[in-house]
Amino acid sequence: MSVRATVAALLLCAASASGAEPAPMPKPATDAADALAALIDKHLAKDWEARGIVPAERTDDAEFARRAYLDIIGRAPKAAEAREFIDSTDPKKRAKLVDQLLTMPAHANHFAAVTRQQWLPQTMNNFQLAQFGNQFEQYLRNQFRDNVPVDKTVRRILTLKMTVNAQNPMFRFVQPDQSEPDGFNVSGFYSANEGKPENVGSAASRLFLGVKLECAQCHDHPFAPYTREQFWQFAAFFAELNPLTGPRPGFVGPIKPQSDRNTIGIMGTEKRVTATFFDGKEPNWAEDRGPRIELADWLLGANNPYFAKNMANRMWAHFFGIGILDPVDEPGENNPESHPELIAELGRAFAANGYDNRFLIRALTRSKAYQLTSKMTHPGQADPRRFARMNLKGLSPAQLFDSLVSATGFREPAQVRQQAAMGFAQPNSPRGAFLNRFASNERATEANTTILQALMLMNGTFIGDQTDLEKSEVLAAIVNVPGWDTKQRVTGLFLTAFARNPTPEELEKFTSYVERGGPSGDKKKALADVFWVLLNSPEFLFNH
Amino acid sequence: MSNLDLSRRQLLRVGAVSTAVSMSGWMGRLARAAEETKTKPKRSCILLWMNGGPSTIDLWDLKPGHENGGPYKEIEAAPGLKIGEYLPKLAKHGKSLAVLRGMSTKEGDHARGTYLMRTGQLPGFAGIQYPSIGSLVSKELGDPKAELPNFVSVAPQRFFAQDAFGPGFLGPVHAPLIVADNQFQAQANNVDALLKVADLDRPKAITAETSGARIDLLREMQEEFAATRPGGIAKSHAAAYDRAVRLMQSESGKVFDLTEEKAETRDKYGRNLFGQGCLLARRLVEKGVPFVEVTLGNWDTHGNNFDMVKNLCGTLDGAWAALMDDLKDRGLLETTTIVWMGEFGRTPKINQGKGRDHYPNAWSTVIAGGGIKGGQAVGKTSKDGTTVEERLTPTVDFLATVCKACGIDFEKQNMSNVGRPIRIVEKGAEAVKEVLA
Repeated sequence: MSVRATVAALLLCAASASGAEPAPMPKPATDAADALAALIDKHLAKDWEARGIVPAERTDDAEFARRAYLDIIGRAPKAAEAREFIDSTDPKKRAKLVDQLLTMPAHANHFAAVTRQQWLPQTMNNFQLAQFGNQFEQYLRNQFRDNVPVDKTVRRILTLKMTVNAQNPMFRFVQPDQSEPDGFNVSGFYSANEGKPENVGSAASRLFLGVKLECAQCHDHPFAPYTREQFWQFAAFFAELNPLTGPRPGFVGPIKPQSDRNTIGIMGTEKRVTATFFDGKEPNWAEDRGPRIELADWLLGANNPYFAKNMANRMWAHFFGIGILDPVDEPGENNPESHPELIAELGRAFAANGYDNRFLIRALTRSKAYQLTSKMTHPGQADPRRFARMNLKGLSPAQLFDSLVSATGFREPAQVRQQAAMGFAQPNSPRGAFLNRFASNERATEANTTILQALMLMNGTFIGDQTDLEKSEVLAAIVNVPGWDTKQRVTGLFLTAFARNPTPEELEKFTSYVERGGPSGDKKKALADVFWVLLNSPEFLFNH
Repeated sequence: MSNLDLSRRQLLRVGAVSTAVSMSGWMGRLARAAEETKTKPKRSCILLWMNGGPSTIDLWDLKPGHENGGPYKEIEAAPGLKIGEYLPKLAKHGKSLAVLRGMSTKEGDHARGTYLMRTGQLPGFAGIQYPSIGSLVSKELGDPKAELPNFVSVAPQRFFAQDAFGPGFLGPVHAPLIVADNQFQAQANNVDALLKVADLDRPKAITAETSGARIDLLREMQEEFAATRPGGIAKSHAAAYDRAVRLMQSESGKVFDLTEEKAETRDKYGRNLFGQGCLLARRLVEKGVPFVEVTLGNWDTHGNNFDMVKNLCGTLDGAWAALMDDLKDRGLLETTTIVWMGEFGRTPKINQGKGRDHYPNAWSTVIAGGGIKGGQAVGKTSKDGTTVEERLTPTVDFLATVCKACGIDFEKQNMSNVGRPIRIVEKGAEAVKEVLA
């Protein structure tokens, strides 16, 4: 009862505060993030004007807070958090909220999980590769926690000192050099790609350059100007993962500075190619600089046209649901960027600010575009690639479960919570069940719901317990707070489920339902009905 | 009290009692969907998935007299088709069975072999997520508006190769509805409960009336949300809830209730998860579900192969034969293709523990029923069973044959998650024409 009393006190305390006037707009741009936000708005506004699009309205505080929580820390705000934000009169509260969320451990956890799913999707549902994904996620978590610039993160991956044991044809054993701190976790990237040059090469190109080369492995790329030979030339930067076959240093006679560390045979042919950049140039090979170091220097160099733009675009896609180039890794004539100048500027700004993830996040979230409501008010807003209203996004399974925990007060055992933070969920736990049932590889803006997911949310044990007057936490607290009238209880349910107050119409409709007691004639049970409805609603189940 | 206030209250009351009205509209939609389904010619496929790698040399391609042959004898299933002695009931359906003795595949690891046989693709590419054969077939044969799901997976053991059971780039709409997921040691007395759709029944404390009221309120929330946020996400959410509620409330959900069957029917299939799973498969196919798979595990017979295979045959033989009987009686055998396979075969050489190990180089699969010319074995292995001598059949040719038998153009392309179209079965695949009717 003490926990319930605490929950009730929190709710009561927060909900008793009076509503506030809408906050005035933040002050004009002052720092670099504000400047970039203004630039984003300038480019989008130009595009809208040219197309006669009227953008959607600015979000209210509740919609903004829920969105920022979900995007940055991977869960919806709790009722008290939402209430505190809504009631604050600080004109800079939106920017301040983002700053605060960025320092929370949940931010590093969420971004590590999201990045792992994007970078190593094969580890999400393959039992044999899952452990490597967990290792790598731990590496990413540390990077996001310390806000390590993304070029440093990628350089670490590309240049990891390691040995690869290829004696077992079924599995290549990747072992990091002992001199590498955190090397075990970083090496998960190579192990998850089976220690094969062609897999690591296509992953590096796709993820760090934004150029998907896979199709060109077996034949020339159907749409883009990449040939099969180029695929293997790129893979050859990772050729040292293969067993070396050529002459070693010390062999009598003249040998190339790389021996055959930088050459690879094209699968199914007799041909061997040497590591070559996309622009057709080769590094000036030297004995003391391995091919992966050469690749990292080129890929992360100031003159490389791909890296900064690609990384900025991926961040954009995270916050807006769809990239300026989308799919994010298929540049080409048939997939033009929606705002070419904007993405170029974003890339430049990201690089100029030291590839600081948090800087970019601040800029994106301060833009007017990010703060538009998802409610459509003009037909021109229908095209998701114009960003004239916020795109609706599906929740990842972890986002969904963590939001359910926030909304229902479910107390997950400490051990399960700890494991979840490490990227592992017990299959039989409620978390494991949700992660399994809601697993998806779809684009966030095209999330589909399945029958089994709907059944789980309607009839499953978890929602069943959390909407049960005896077993629930938050529901029981709201139902039993002494001295509240029905309107206050309904408002409490809306705050905990939707992180907003009900509209006057909603308040009246649901209050009336509860007053009548629903079909059972029991007011308490009717409140449980309302909570069930809210938790099954699209407003709860999606990021709007 | 102002007039305005009154009218709003009245409206609310109308909203509250409108349950019956909106339900009937809803049911009307269901009925229409069902009508449309009826006009479509039905083809179905049942996959009997033998998890662990079945010892096909002891089932379909025996080597009597050779040291690799083991102790089993052959029995005649059809003129010219002999199979293992522990499938006597199934042998009576020999005329419907086509055995492919020339299987030669590329993966001898459980997870990788499973992925290969179920997707037609080698695993390992980070970018492309291939759909399982069930998702591919049900997408072609299924009706997106059908009351029942188009792909039901019964008792899959997905633990080591989860990605081989999913819809891949076809998306969750083509994901299987799974019953009895990952049950490695199901008890006979628990089978009925396991084979039900998870969470299909509302919690016991919730009455039908309450459930109906909740769903009506939810529907209003969905409609309001979709009105201001039009698009696929909101539509898909509403559609999934529609279908889930349909399954909960309509008669069709009862297909999962095996207690409707006579006791002797249930006995005939065998009172175990696989047997009752096959019975469920028959019931689903009767209702027009285009793809059902049923898993029988424990085929990984590294030791004590002959006792274990005999035992497994006891489960397999009765269930499969009963399935053939029932489909035939109902006139469904001509439109239902039954596929039997595992991830690979097992070594012809018998190891020191009287077991057989993994062997993808030369093994057998079976296709029966719809679209198939039965009563024959196609392909031939060497006397010791180690190599294929005739009609070598790689995975893609086998899957192409399955598609053809089901009336599917396996060269059709689906758009993949890497933005290029990918064929149902990879380019260059050829169906084994000899077995096609």
